[in-house]
Amino acid sequence: MSKLKIDTIAALSTPAGRAAISMIRVSGPDTFEILKKVFKTGGKRAFPLHYSAYFGSIIEPETGYVADQVIVNTYLSPKSYTGEDLAEISTHGNPVVVSKVLSILFKNGARQAEKGEFTRRAFLNGKMDLLEVEALSQLLYASSSTQARLALNQLDGLPSKFVAKIREELLNQLVQLEASLNFPEDAIESIDENALKVALKKILSELELFADNARNGSLISEGLKVAIVGKPNAGKSSLMNYLLGRDRAIVTDIPGTTRDTLEESLVIGNIPVKLIDTAGMRQAENSIEAIGIERTEKAIDSAFAVIGVFDGSKKAEDEDKAVLQRLKSLDKPVLIIQNKSDLPALLEDEFLSGLKVIKVSALKGEGMSELISALTEYLKTDGIGSLEEMVLLGASQTNALDKALSALKRAEEGIGNIYQDMLAIDLEEAVRELGRVNGETVDVNTLDMIFERFCIGK
Amino acid sequence: MTQKRHYSVIVIGGGHAGCEAALASARLGADTLLVTMNITTIALMPCNPSIGGPGKGHLVREIGALGGEMASCIDETCVQMKWLNTSKGPAVRSRRAQADKYLYRQRMINTLFEQENLDVRQGQVTEIICSDNKIQGIKLETGLTLLCERLIITSGTYLNARIILGRESWDGAPQNQKAAIGLSASLEENGIRMRRLQTATPPRVLKSSVDLSILQELPGDIDAGGFTWEDRLRRYEKQISCFLTFTDERSIAAVKRHMSESPLVLANITNEGPKHCPSIDRKLLKFPDMVRHQIFVEPEGWKSQELYLQGLTTGMPPVAQEDIVSSVVGLENAVILRYGYAIEYDALAPGQFHKTMESRIIKGLYTAGQINGTSGYEEAAGQGLIAGINAILSLRGEAPYWPSRTRSYLGVLVDDLSTWSRNEPYRITPGHAEYRLTLRDDSAERRLIEDGYRIGLVSKERYEKIFDWKKRIEDEIEALDSLSLLPNSEAREIMANTGTGDLKKPASGSELLQRPGMTYKLVTELLHKAKDSCLTASDEIYALETEIKYRGYADRELERIKQTAFLEGIRLPMEINDERMRIINLEALEIMKSERYDDLSQMVRMNHFSKSELAVLLAILNGEELEEEQA
Repeated sequence: MSKLKIDTIAALSTPAGRAAISMIRVSGPDTFEILKKVFKTGGKRAFPLHYSAYFGSIIEPETGYVADQVIVNTYLSPKSYTGEDLAEISTHGNPVVVSKVLSILFKNGARQAEKGEFTRRAFLNGKMDLLEVEALSQLLYASSSTQARLALNQLDGLPSKFVAKIREELLNQLVQLEASLNFPEDAIESIDENALKVALKKILSELELFADNARNGSLISEGLKVAIVGKPNAGKSSLMNYLLGRDRAIVTDIPGTTRDTLEESLVIGNIPVKLIDTAGMRQAENSIEAIGIERTEKAIDSAFAVIGVFDGSKKAEDEDKAVLQRLKSLDKPVLIIQNKSDLPALLEDEFLSGLKVIKVSALKGEGMSELISALTEYLKTDGIGSLEEMVLLGASQTNALDKALSALKRAEEGIGNIYQDMLAIDLEEAVRELGRVNGETVDVNTLDMIFERFCIGK
Repeated sequence: MTQKRHYSVIVIGGGHAGCEAALASARLGADTLLVTMNITTIALMPCNPSIGGPGKGHLVREIGALGGEMASCIDETCVQMKWLNTSKGPAVRSRRAQADKYLYRQRMINTLFEQENLDVRQGQVTEIICSDNKIQGIKLETGLTLLCERLIITSGTYLNARIILGRESWDGAPQNQKAAIGLSASLEENGIRMRRLQTATPPRVLKSSVDLSILQELPGDIDAGGFTWEDRLRRYEKQISCFLTFTDERSIAAVKRHMSESPLVLANITNEGPKHCPSIDRKLLKFPDMVRHQIFVEPEGWKSQELYLQGLTTGMPPVAQEDIVSSVVGLENAVILRYGYAIEYDALAPGQFHKTMESRIIKGLYTAGQINGTSGYEEAAGQGLIAGINAILSLRGEAPYWPSRTRSYLGVLVDDLSTWSRNEPYRITPGHAEYRLTLRDDSAERRLIEDGYRIGLVSKERYEKIFDWKKRIEDEIEALDSLSLLPNSEAREIMANTGTGDLKKPASGSELLQRPGMTYKLVTELLHKAKDSCLTASDEIYALETEIKYRGYADRELERIKQTAFLEGIRLPMEINDERMRIINLEALEIMKSERYDDLSQMVRMNHFSKSELAVLLAILNGEELEEEQA
């Protein structure tokens, strides 16, 4: 008999919702293998040591994207809650951040833990006695169907209905196909492959749009992009460093130091933000700067909001005018910052007149709370919107959705080249995986559906 | 000479299940008795004159691979052989034979009588004898008692059978035979629960009264081959045709006119009929707008004067049947020789037997065929074979044979049946098989010949022959995997000329074969492998091409097969009094305790476990192994 392979599970262990800190627990034999892939810590200490805390970042390996700064507590088997290798990841207390961290864990080999699963594993590994487990009876003795639903039903509302609809459509095609495969002499009209191809194309495009939305959801969960623009040496990097609370951007008084864009994640007013420090906007004097400026434009395009930084200690220059003109042309939230309020104000009053300007000193921290609350306001009203549903979608069903999509693509591309029995295998897989996206655990009985729809008699 | 009164194995019933069970038992060396109510009707086909079709044909080929009799019997006695689903792909392709009902019976009866260790006797069994829930023997209506170690009941549709024809009904069995009275009650006295099922058959008409000349002719396929491995390339040069006609408005009107006489409307019959084979009255009730129903007109043998009207099944009274038949094109003047009828019979209530066909209630008792809630000759034969094999294995004290649903349609059949709780007879179709790319018709012997040999129903000689064939195919697949073609100009030219694409970098033979339009022949030419050790037999080439071309699908299927096979390997009941099992949810635990399931895969399939419960359960069951692994 083949041996049992216990897998690695992960789940949010603190209550869902906004909080100061959220804790994600990962348990199982691959815990540290997964963390080594997605967790970067700066220290020289070996990772993992038993019962140690590490500060670092959860990073998406493919993109290098930083999801959050976290503290990871490590426990080596058997001295852990579950008795397995276990890590507790403390993230910023925000559903969006949590969702993103979880989805990174899932993509790298962990599985969504089911209700009570950590406790069960603890019991299994002799970590709890039966009395302690009895105390959790409600959790453990829930009926299996409820449990299955709880474990799988992460969706609610419209996305779920949409997937159900697509699944239904595919199921209808599958039933037609299966009818002719199972009962070849029952004069069941064989499936019109051209029509099926058209139908699958339509379903694929709808489903891909849905997957895009899910990806957008996770894009949002990666942080709302805020670009910082301004002429060289207006103090963009200082502003960024202040917001981050540490030196990330290189700050010098030589204009053009930031030649590339820098991206950093942070949480502002409980909302994850991806701050982009851009190269200064000015006429490029060399090719490296030119690239930086091109990237600045890209950053502005992709940003949800833009912070324009002007140096209050200098008179307006052509470059300031260019920046201002660019900001005025934008169709997205813009915050105007007059920096260096600690120095004598030389910027002409009329230059920024008629605009809501926040005067700050990024160096000294003056005016920063006003900046943060203005930014938070924008992020909340315009940015977060209908985010919740989207985010839920992103985490653990992505895998099933991807499988369904690739099965459908195989089917769509295969029509005409592959036999109908293979087509049926692909459609069946798509239906099965979409069921998993939706948490519909009920098995589909295609034969019953055939008998309902077709008069079978041969 | 005295009559023998004590056998190792007794088989009740001489239908398709009983024949296979008795032959398997005797061939495996046990002294065996087959008791039938009528020796003349052994291996009778009381309904359709055909064997095979999607799923069913797969079963028959598997029966042949394991050393059963149905495959070779029909190969020798068919009047037509046909390939179905040829254009729909390798997973669903299957063979279907039209039988000469009379020759089939004669051939099977001869085989039984020639079989060493096997006695055949006529008689009606009215009682089973048990003590301590263990089978001891049987009692016949003559008062005779026969003792046995193992009993296999294959009672077909005979137990408390009632024939229904419109308002009329009487105790009776197919072909005007007697119903088997008494045995059902005896089973119930011994703790077995019974239920009623029904089925029906269409009228038979006189061939000379049917105008076949205006009907669409459906000939067979000369090169369809037979069901047994030995007959796989057999050419059936001489065949007879079936014919196709359709109902029209006149027929629908006729059925409607007499609908009040339908047993379905009269409700004088249990409603539990086969979904896949509805009567014409049921079709009309369910699909009232459908006018054109197919009627297949099928011969019952080379010389038979009877034609079977597939599609006109009914239990309506004679006058209704005459009206309906004469409303169909070609059948206007048809003379009905035997009227159709519905039949109601006793079968086991669900959940009372294991996948091995052994009773969960009485040790040493096995059941197979319609008593287990199936329909179809093929399903019956398959179960009979499994029951016969397992009766002997248990006699010998050996581990039972549990066919896996990941390896055979037989496995799907017995697995489904042991959990089948619907109130309708079960029929196998590819729709029941999750792994049908693996369970292809052409791979039956490759999947099962080792089982057959190990069990002892396949001779060494036969095993070696089939093993060589299997190895030839597998070696050639391996060769194509390892041989590479370099993108030289000659190869590229050949490929360009045959429209099989360009070759930019080296490719293995298998990769080449996976291209659309590429054939094994062309690949071997490209690889210059044409001269030595090439496959030449069409079936071997077909198997190889199918294996390689659909490897992507097969590999994905294999992933799922591994999971199911793993779960199948964990048998119930287990140590459920272990305190640690309390971690499992109570509902699932109760179900486990009730012993309605043989293994974990069944419980998972029936949705009794969540994934995490399963993980925990597995961990408990594999505790020691797990600790080893984690250490």
